[in-house]
Amino acid sequence: MASSLKALLVEDTAVDRMVLSFMLRKFHCEVILAKNGKEDVDMFLEGNKFDIVVCDKDMPIMTGPEAIKKIRAMGATDVKIVGVSADDNAMEAFMSAGADDFVPKPMRLEVLGPMIQEVINMKNN
Amino acid sequence: MGHLDEQFRQVEDLQDEASPNFVEEVVVVFFKDSGRLISNLEQALEKYPRDFNRWDAYMQQLKGSCSSIGASRMKNECMSFRDNCGQRSVEGCMGSLQKLKREHAILRQKLESYFQLLRQVGPAGAATRPAM
Repeated sequence: MASSLKALLVEDTAVDRMVLSFMLRKFHCEVILAKNGKEDVDMFLEGNKFDIVVCDKDMPIMTGPEAIKKIRAMGATDVKIVGVSADDNAMEAFMSAGADDFVPKPMRLEVLGPMIQEVINMKNN
Repeated sequence: MGHLDEQFRQVEDLQDEASPNFVEEVVVVFFKDSGRLISNLEQALEKYPRDFNRWDAYMQQLKGSCSSIGASRMKNECMSFRDNCGQRSVEGCMGSLQKLKREHAILRQKLESYFQLLRQVGPAGAATRPAM
């Protein structure tokens, strides 16, 4: 699958950052990393544009859902935001914050692949 | 139940010629992080007695890492600990933590042996993963 998507990965845990960023790169995404929700928001405040954001829930300084609310409030309504968490009750928090999808950890290639393809299709249309 | 589930295979599938040591690098980071989290939790158990929310937060993070590399037995002990937090059982939490530490040590040993074996057999032999 060819892709020139720009992905922002927001994840405070080193292991998850490694695995998720590798997964995104498998789908030929350019991956930018943020270690918490505040860095996530700052990326958007600095004028960066992303095609997809993959965001953890519980992080220091600012949580994923808090960051997503702020990003959507900034007007970044087109970017696909996927919440990921090992917390089984995280879906509600992500979706009410404005995420498009929620995936319980661990993320799998067969789940991420179709999401990436969906973003590519929307970008091409 | 084995020590590793299908997710470990997913991590192995990410390894390629450009990153031939990816799996081992992830595992090294996992044990560094998990060791730190377990140590922080042990300190929290002492410093913040009955602070189940705080204890749970540490374990939540560890559970996530365990899920990401497929450390299934460790993940189950994380869940057991969190259940004990929910039931506000100090004794239960202590018991789960001891089991978690045992599984952590066993998994580390098994993976060290696994990577040692992989280095001996080389890339061709890596096609068949020994059961763990």
